[in-house]
Amino acid sequence: MKTDVLARNNVKVLGRGTRPMLFAHGFGCDQNMWRLVTGAFEDNYRIVLFDYVGSGKSDLAAYDAKKYATLDGYARDLLDVIHALDLHDITFVGHSVSSMIGVLAANEEPDRFAHLILIGPSPRYINEGAYVGGFERKDIEALFEMMDHNFIGWANFLAPAVMKNPDRPELTDELNASFCSTDPVIARRFAEATFLADNRADLGRVTTPSLILQCSDDMIAPDAVGEYVSAHMPNSTLRRMRATGHCPHMSHPEETVALIEEYLAPARAGT
Amino acid sequence: MTDAGSDLLDRAPCGFVSFGDDGRICHVNTTLLDRLGYTRESLFGRHFETLLGVGSRIFYQTHFFPLLRLHGHAEEIFLLLRARDGEDVGMLCNALRRERDGAEVTDCVFLEVRERQKFEDALLEARRAAEEANKAKSTFLAVMSHELRTPLNAIGGYTQLIEMGIHGPVTDGQREALERITRSQRHLLRLINDVLNLARIEAGRVEYSIMPVPLQEIVEATLPMVEPQAAAKSQRIESAVPGGIHAAADREKLQQILLNLLTNAVKFTGEGGVIRVEGGERSPTEVYLRVTDTGKGIPADMLGRIFEPFVQVNTREAGSREGTGLGLAISRDLARGMNGNLTAASTPGVGSSFELALPRPKEN
Repeated sequence: MKTDVLARNNVKVLGRGTRPMLFAHGFGCDQNMWRLVTGAFEDNYRIVLFDYVGSGKSDLAAYDAKKYATLDGYARDLLDVIHALDLHDITFVGHSVSSMIGVLAANEEPDRFAHLILIGPSPRYINEGAYVGGFERKDIEALFEMMDHNFIGWANFLAPAVMKNPDRPELTDELNASFCSTDPVIARRFAEATFLADNRADLGRVTTPSLILQCSDDMIAPDAVGEYVSAHMPNSTLRRMRATGHCPHMSHPEETVALIEEYLAPARAGT
Repeated sequence: MTDAGSDLLDRAPCGFVSFGDDGRICHVNTTLLDRLGYTRESLFGRHFETLLGVGSRIFYQTHFFPLLRLHGHAEEIFLLLRARDGEDVGMLCNALRRERDGAEVTDCVFLEVRERQKFEDALLEARRAAEEANKAKSTFLAVMSHELRTPLNAIGGYTQLIEMGIHGPVTDGQREALERITRSQRHLLRLINDVLNLARIEAGRVEYSIMPVPLQEIVEATLPMVEPQAAAKSQRIESAVPGGIHAAADREKLQQILLNLLTNAVKFTGEGGVIRVEGGERSPTEVYLRVTDTGKGIPADMLGRIFEPFVQVNTREAGSREGTGLGLAISRDLARGMNGNLTAASTPGVGSSFELALPRPKEN
């Protein structure tokens, strides 16, 4: 049912345009991470935001360990959101793991997508033979181990929600405004789906034109990975950013917006 | 900061680091320098990220950094800091991003948590052991159920032979006793099969052969199996499933789910009730089958639990508590195994509705 998907993925629609621009957040955060860039597109686009199941204000009861064991489960949810709102001619903006989730969805139903804008994409995080993903398997295992330790940190962070302290309303306010909140068990599994994935073979099947935004000094998706994606994905444009780190839409929103606008300008002029 | 304040911070019994929005370290206290073995000069201007082990760096980039930008603060984040000699030191970090001297800086306080880390390791180890034990339980159940079935089948088979008079004439009294043996044997076999099925699913040992299955055909093939029981309670079964709709499913398992839903509907609906089967397309990628009854309904507090193994709702209509309470657990596992789902809605006093969602077959 339509409404089920919209509630399950906490879908939010804003903006004054008709063409859809669909933003998909990365691992470890939620749709709030887009708030510094969406404003720039509100006049011309219909902005669609959502949370993956297990992140943000999604419906945790909808979590299904088997379905979400691989990125395919997340791609299905992305397509569910697209169907629920009946979106066509989509400009998809995906951060980090969502780049690959977007690729999977666009390969499944290419007719729905007009552009893919991929911020810090990586089809494979682990080095393998001549392929440089940036990490050894033991690095990724170190992340899992560290996340196991953050179970307790997370649980503490979420404790006020469970306590529901009526005499200390600031606790509840704090929680309502709590960003990047993630269910720790689900986050741990999402990390496995993300960092153990190998989507290299999916890149060549993409027919949708794409923009790859590559940060400087991005340890999660290093230069070599951006180049690999660009070389293996037909119709792709690689732009290197002055922005450093892995979240340019949060650390350098102006540059991010400018590059997206520049890329989309010919398409907009054509309509 | 005053000299005294700075001195205090320097010698505080916890680590302290400040870095700018570009990530470069602009302040670090002596406590942390000493613990990690660095000199102040070697860290000044270095990116904060380089102080972290690789796993912690990923975590910093994907969760900690966004959290700081959106929230302005983060509490009790566990990070491994890399000492100069390569040792990874587990520390809890509280961080606050704020404006100072016209620029944004992030202040982090670090507390070494060696003891706590030990407790947490023990907890994790305990969890792993529990998961192992659960797996062992499933295997045990699968083996046991299998072992129990063999003698039960023998009991059933030999009872039948006696009933047929193979070993000489059977008196009426004996026949009655033999029927009781058979009834009990069948009941026990059903329970064991349920347990075995669930154990197999939990152990991930179920194979699905997915193909396009016409929904209408499955419904028409399943309804006759419950019609006698429904007729005995003067219930009406209505079916509205249009032809031409296919699910990508395992035919046998789809029928098993539907049969379970229909059997439950008949069981939990009173005399003269109505059971309705509907089906259709829900989206370009999904189809559904819905079984609605006019039974007593399921109380809201039970609705979330009915898919758990061994949970049953007590109602008078159900009569004696037959069965294991595994039917819905098995059905939902099977539905999910076929990339679908099984959900329930209910209004006490009005009835319940179970909806099976399944993917549509991909065209070509």
